[in-house]
Amino acid sequence: MEPPRWGSIFIFPVALGVSLGVSCLLLAAQGKSPALGLEVLWSGAFGAWYTVEDTLLKTVPIFLCSLGVAVTFRMQVWNIGAEGQFALGAVGATWAALTFANLPGALLLPLMFACAAAAGGAWAAVPAWLKLRLGINEIISTLMFNYIGILILEYLVYGPWKDAGSHGFPMTSQFVPAAVVGHFPGTRLHWGVALCVVCAVGLWVLLTRTRPGFELKASGESLRAARYARMPYNTLVLLVMALCGALAGWAGLLEASAVTGRLQPSLMVGYGFTAIVVAWLARLSPARIALFSFFLAALRVGAENLQLELGVPAAFGGIMEGLILLTVLAGQFFNGYRIRPGGAHR
Amino acid sequence: MTVQPATATPPPLVRLEGIGKSFGPVHANRDITLDIHAGRVLALLGENGAGKSTLMSMLSGVFPPDSGTILLDGAPVRFQSPREAIDAGIGMVYQHFMLVGRMTVAQNVLLGQDRGLFVRPRDMERRVGELAGRYGLDIDPAAPVAGLSMGERQRVEILKLLYRDSRVLIFDEPTAVLTPTEAGQLFAALRRMTGLGKAIVFISHKLEEVLDVADTVAILRQGRIVDTVARQAVTSRHELARRMVGREVLLEIERAEAPLGGAVLELEGLSGHGLDGLDLTLRRGEIVAVVGVAGNGQKALVDVVTGLAAPAGGEVRLQGKPWAEFFRDPPWNGAVAHIPEDRLGVGTCPELDLVDNVLLTTRKGFAPGLFLDKKSALGATRAIIRRFHVAAHGPEVRARQLSGGNLQKLVLGREFFRKPRLIVAEQPSQGLDVAATEEVWHRLLNARMQAGVLLVTGDLNEALQLADRVAVMFRGRFMAVLDAAQARDLEKIGLLMAGVDAGAPRA
Repeated sequence: MEPPRWGSIFIFPVALGVSLGVSCLLLAAQGKSPALGLEVLWSGAFGAWYTVEDTLLKTVPIFLCSLGVAVTFRMQVWNIGAEGQFALGAVGATWAALTFANLPGALLLPLMFACAAAAGGAWAAVPAWLKLRLGINEIISTLMFNYIGILILEYLVYGPWKDAGSHGFPMTSQFVPAAVVGHFPGTRLHWGVALCVVCAVGLWVLLTRTRPGFELKASGESLRAARYARMPYNTLVLLVMALCGALAGWAGLLEASAVTGRLQPSLMVGYGFTAIVVAWLARLSPARIALFSFFLAALRVGAENLQLELGVPAAFGGIMEGLILLTVLAGQFFNGYRIRPGGAHR
Repeated sequence: MTVQPATATPPPLVRLEGIGKSFGPVHANRDITLDIHAGRVLALLGENGAGKSTLMSMLSGVFPPDSGTILLDGAPVRFQSPREAIDAGIGMVYQHFMLVGRMTVAQNVLLGQDRGLFVRPRDMERRVGELAGRYGLDIDPAAPVAGLSMGERQRVEILKLLYRDSRVLIFDEPTAVLTPTEAGQLFAALRRMTGLGKAIVFISHKLEEVLDVADTVAILRQGRIVDTVARQAVTSRHELARRMVGREVLLEIERAEAPLGGAVLELEGLSGHGLDGLDLTLRRGEIVAVVGVAGNGQKALVDVVTGLAAPAGGEVRLQGKPWAEFFRDPPWNGAVAHIPEDRLGVGTCPELDLVDNVLLTTRKGFAPGLFLDKKSALGATRAIIRRFHVAAHGPEVRARQLSGGNLQKLVLGREFFRKPRLIVAEQPSQGLDVAATEEVWHRLLNARMQAGVLLVTGDLNEALQLADRVAVMFRGRFMAVLDAAQARDLEKIGLLMAGVDAGAPRA
C-alpha cells in the first residue's frame, strides 16, 4: 500500500463529489432534504467569522498530529497512535500546570511544552521499541496504546486530579492564568496557530536540509537500499515516532490549556484519528497537510451544525470522513490500474 | 488416455520455434527452438539467470513471448494466462507451492474442479487416491496439507496437474526443497509418468540429477540454447559442465600490471551463514574473482565483507583491523565500497533523483554537522555524470529513468568517489551491453591502483578477463584459489563449480 502519488490531484475533487453524493443519499434516507443538508454543512463551517474561527481552532490539533503521522508514514512506519499520544501530551502538560502552578508563565509554559513533548514522545517510543526489539506490529500496538492513553487520562480526571469543586464532574481544576496559552487579541484563535507554522517550517527544514532528514527519506523509499548504505534504521524509527508523539502531545497541550483551560475527557474527540486520514491524503508536504487539516476540520464543524439544525446523529461527521478516505483510496486504485475490456491478463 | 510408445521419433507434443523474450534491455531468451516429446524427460540445464525459468513461464502461460511460436500438436497456440495453458494440458510445478494449508490433499487437488454443488469427501479422497496410486505417488488423500513435508506437498501439486489431464508437466528446480530420499521418489514418479505418456520438462542447474533423470538435455546459456544432446550421447560430466559454463570469449580487454600493496582484506577460516572455512588474502593492486553457481555462499561472503553480517566463525580483518573494530563506525571514505548485484533495488532508490542517490553512501562527506551541503552534492553528482559517461538528462532525473548500464556507471562513480581501499563488486556487468561492460571492466581494472577488488561473478569470462586470482566457490567452500593462468583451464573450473574435486574426477 502506498499513499497517493501527487499526479493524481484531480482524484480528490471527484472523490469529494462522490462522498457528498453518498452523504446526500444518507440524508434522504433519514427523511432530511439533501440540499438543505449541504447548505447547513457549508454555513456551519464557513457561514460566519465565528464558524471559520471554530474551523481554524479544530485545524490546529489535526494539523499537529498529522504532521507527525505523515513523517512516520514516510518511513513506512504505520503509526496510528496519535490519539493516545495526544492524550498523554495533555496529561503531561496538566501535570506540570497543576504541580508548578505558582511559577510565572515564562517558566511554566515552556515546562508544560517540555512535559507534553516528553510524555507524548515516550508514549510513541514504546511501540517503536517493541517493533524494533520484539518485532511487534506497530499498527496493533499503537492502536492499543490509544485506548490505554485515553484510559490513563480518564483515570486521572475521575481520580487523583479531580477538582474538589467540580460537583462530581470528571475534570481538573481550572488552570492558573500562567498555564494558559494566550489568544490573538480580539479573536478566539490562540498562539497554537503560530506554533503550527513554526513546526511546519522546522519539519520542512529537518526533512529537506539535514542528514537525518535525508536518511529518513531514503529509508522510506527503500529499506534495502538504506540497509546497504548503513543508515541507522532503528534510531530513525525511534526518532520519527518520538517526533510524532511530541507533536501530538503539543496538540493535546493546546486543547487542554488554550481551549478548555483544564483537563477533561471531552478533549478526546478523535483528532488523532482524523490526522491519519489527513496524513494519508496529503502525504508529506506541510502545505498540503495544512490544506487537508483545514478541510477535515471544516467538515467536523459543519457536521456539528448539521447535528444541531437537522437532528442528524453525531456519527454523521465520522461517516463522511470515512467516505472521503474510502472514495479517495478507490479513486487511487482505479488510477493505478487500467480497466481493459476483454479480460486480457496484464 | 493414450499411451504413446517412446520409440522412433514421433512428432513432438510441443515445439518452441524461435522464441525470444526481453525485459527492458535484458535479453532473457533469444531465438530458442526446442522440441518436447511425449514419454520423454527433457532437462533444461543452465546457470541461474540463463533463461530457463523465463522460457518455461512462456510455455505455461505466465507471460507471452516477444517473438516466435509455440506449437502444440503442430498447431500454434498463444496462452493469455496459466489457466489457458493448463486447460491445453500444460502445467508447471513451481518451487513455491500454492496450496491451502487447512484443506486436505483431496480438497486441494479438486479445488475449483467440482461441478456439483455438494461435495462428498469420501468420494473425492477415493478418486485422488486412485490417481496417486496409478503414478506411484505415496500420499494420504485425507491428510491436511498443513502437516505435510515439502516432498508430500510437491506430490499434491503434481496431482493437481495430473487430475487436470496435463500432458506436459514442467518442474522448476523440483529437488531444491527435497531431501535426497524424496528426490529419489520424485525421479521414480517422473519415470512412471513418462511411461504413461506424459512429457516432462525438468529445470535444473545440478548436473548429477540431470544425468539421473533426463532423456534429452538442452543446455541454456545467456538466453540461448547452446546444445541439445541425448542422454546416451553424454559420455562425461566434464563435457556438460564445460558446455554449461561456456568457453567462447565474448569480450577481451587489455590489462596492465598493477603493483601489489598491503592486504586490504584477510579471511582466516571464515565460517557460519553457510560458509565453511574460507581463507583468502586480498591486497591492494589485485582483483580476486569469486566464481561459482549462485547460491553457494557468495551472498553470505559479501554480507560479512561489507559489514552487513558479523562473521560467526574464523577471523576477518579489513585494512589490518579486526572485523568488529573496523565496522564499529566505518568511515564513509577510504574504506569499503560495495557495488551490489541489484543496482535498482539495493544500490539505489529508484524514485529519488541522482543527487540523492549519490548521497546515499556519501552523505557523511556532505554533512560535517547536521546540515547537508546540497550544493556540493549537486556538483559532485555532475562530476560523476561527466567523468563516468552517465547518459542522463541531468542530476534531477530519477534513478529508475536510467538504463541498466548508465545506472551501473552512476553506482560505480559514486562508490569510487568514496576512495575505497576495498571494492566488493557483485555481478558488475550483468545485463549490460558490450560497450557498458567494457567501460565497467576498465574502471575496475583502474581501481586496482588504489584498492583491492573482490569480484563476485557468475560470468566466467568476466573473471578470467579481470582477475589475478580466481576462487571457485561451492557449498560455502573455496574448492580452489587458482592463479589467472591456471584458471584458463575451463574444464577444471567447470568441475570445481559443480563440486567435483579435480584431484579425483569421476565421470
